[in-house]
Amino acid sequence: MNARNILPVVLVLFFLLLSAGCTESGEEPQKLKVLAAGSLLTSFSEVEKEFEASHPGVDVEIEGHGSIQVIRQVTDLHRQFDVVAVADESLIPDLMYRVNEETGKNYTDWYLPFARNEMVLAYTGKSLYSTEITPENWPDILSRPDVRVGISNPMLDAAGYRALMLFQLAEEEYDRPDLFETIIGDHFSPMLNVTVSGRNSTIELPEIMRPSGGKLAVRDGSIYLISLLEAGGIDYAVEYRSVADDMGLLWVPLEPSVNLGSDEYENNYERVRIVLGFQRFSSTGRERIGRTIVYAMTIPTDAKNPDLAREFITYVNEQSRLGRPGWPAPLD
Amino acid sequence: MTQKSFVWIMALCTLLAAVIFFAGCISGTNDPLPSVADPAMQNWRLTVNGTNQVVLSMQDLQKMPPVTGHGYCVSTTGIRFGPYICKGVDLREIAALAGGMNQGDRIWVSAPDGYLWVFDSDQVEGNGFVTFNEDLKEIPSPSLRVILMYEQDGRPLTYDEGGPARIAIISEEPGIVTEGSAWVKWVDRIEVKKT
Repeated sequence: MNARNILPVVLVLFFLLLSAGCTESGEEPQKLKVLAAGSLLTSFSEVEKEFEASHPGVDVEIEGHGSIQVIRQVTDLHRQFDVVAVADESLIPDLMYRVNEETGKNYTDWYLPFARNEMVLAYTGKSLYSTEITPENWPDILSRPDVRVGISNPMLDAAGYRALMLFQLAEEEYDRPDLFETIIGDHFSPMLNVTVSGRNSTIELPEIMRPSGGKLAVRDGSIYLISLLEAGGIDYAVEYRSVADDMGLLWVPLEPSVNLGSDEYENNYERVRIVLGFQRFSSTGRERIGRTIVYAMTIPTDAKNPDLAREFITYVNEQSRLGRPGWPAPLD
Repeated sequence: MTQKSFVWIMALCTLLAAVIFFAGCISGTNDPLPSVADPAMQNWRLTVNGTNQVVLSMQDLQKMPPVTGHGYCVSTTGIRFGPYICKGVDLREIAALAGGMNQGDRIWVSAPDGYLWVFDSDQVEGNGFVTFNEDLKEIPSPSLRVILMYEQDGRPLTYDEGGPARIAIISEEPGIVTEGSAWVKWVDRIEVKKT
């Protein structure tokens, strides 16, 4: 074999070796970075698969947090994301309609409401009085001393302060003026302070949300409540309806006047105000006011892939309107 | 071409390809590890406020009695971080610099990103935390300690990990998972609030 014959072989071998090591960096997928509230993670993981299938070369990355933490990733920690989706539409104008000093523009100037939810009482066949409980008698069942109830931490999770709101609202709806204290307030030491003025109530929370005794359990997020419910550590957990559905749990529906799921009762929900034990984030205040649960999405102004992000939220919005199982309910 | 020169050309090409591969194609984008000489470490200060106020540098913190243990945390949505070997200073030792704390007092731990978390005296003693096994099933809490961690797995913390110093809840035995909300990142202020 002479040099003229060998050289092309050597060159081919050389480029084969080179390309074997470098193909990965040459075909990097386009990453669409999505921040989503915890109660959206099931629906968004379905969207991730479907969107990637219809958009070859796109890799959807979903990161889940509580809704306030979702927004803080963009506004306080200055991380770049393409889509922001939260479980409380009011958080976007409250926290993102302000100037990003790095860009000179607001973090965003718009949002798209796309779904709603409501609070329910989730339980299993093993829960005490599971064969007795009904939408009418649940205040009596939950007030029984041997029944254990779980809520998520209002300091961390919107579902947590919404749980407190529903028990307070239920006092009037079910004519049970002691309901909040019996199920929640009396199980802290000292007891929670509730101030009533006319039909309006303000609930002040302690710095540490640690109940005394075994009646009430408080956990960081709803997934831990579900785990506790399934293990028999609690009998009933206050959850979003979509989460209870998605996890295959039994649940008791609550009256629209207390379940935070109906626009018609927005004025009623606003009667309850929660004051958190401390200001966990300097960018958000300590007060939470009762409102209808509406989910919303936006695209931050510094998103790397705004066009793709627009396609993504359009797809989510379209799918949400179909009322898919395990998803928050479509808007009317 | 002789057989000798063929072997020589082949060896050269293989070497060249390997050099190019390792120089340009390794996709490591990890946060660079900081050293004590890193400006972020040098400039970091911890303000400890109680009945008196002290300000500590990283060197000051590292001169305090260290504790080491297993740390593992989980986010509100179930994402686990760890397990780590965590080294730092017990929160009680730090509080002692500012007059100490008594039963019923609180410790406020905060960071420049605006995050604040509050521990009561029971928690500072290692009690009252919810603990899970690695499958996130609740288990009875073993003995725990709350520390200000400055070293994770034998090296300083990167910014993304919450460095130069973050809170960690540690145990002597491995595989104990705690709720991540208390693992404050980028800690720069610790205040003892008297009851």
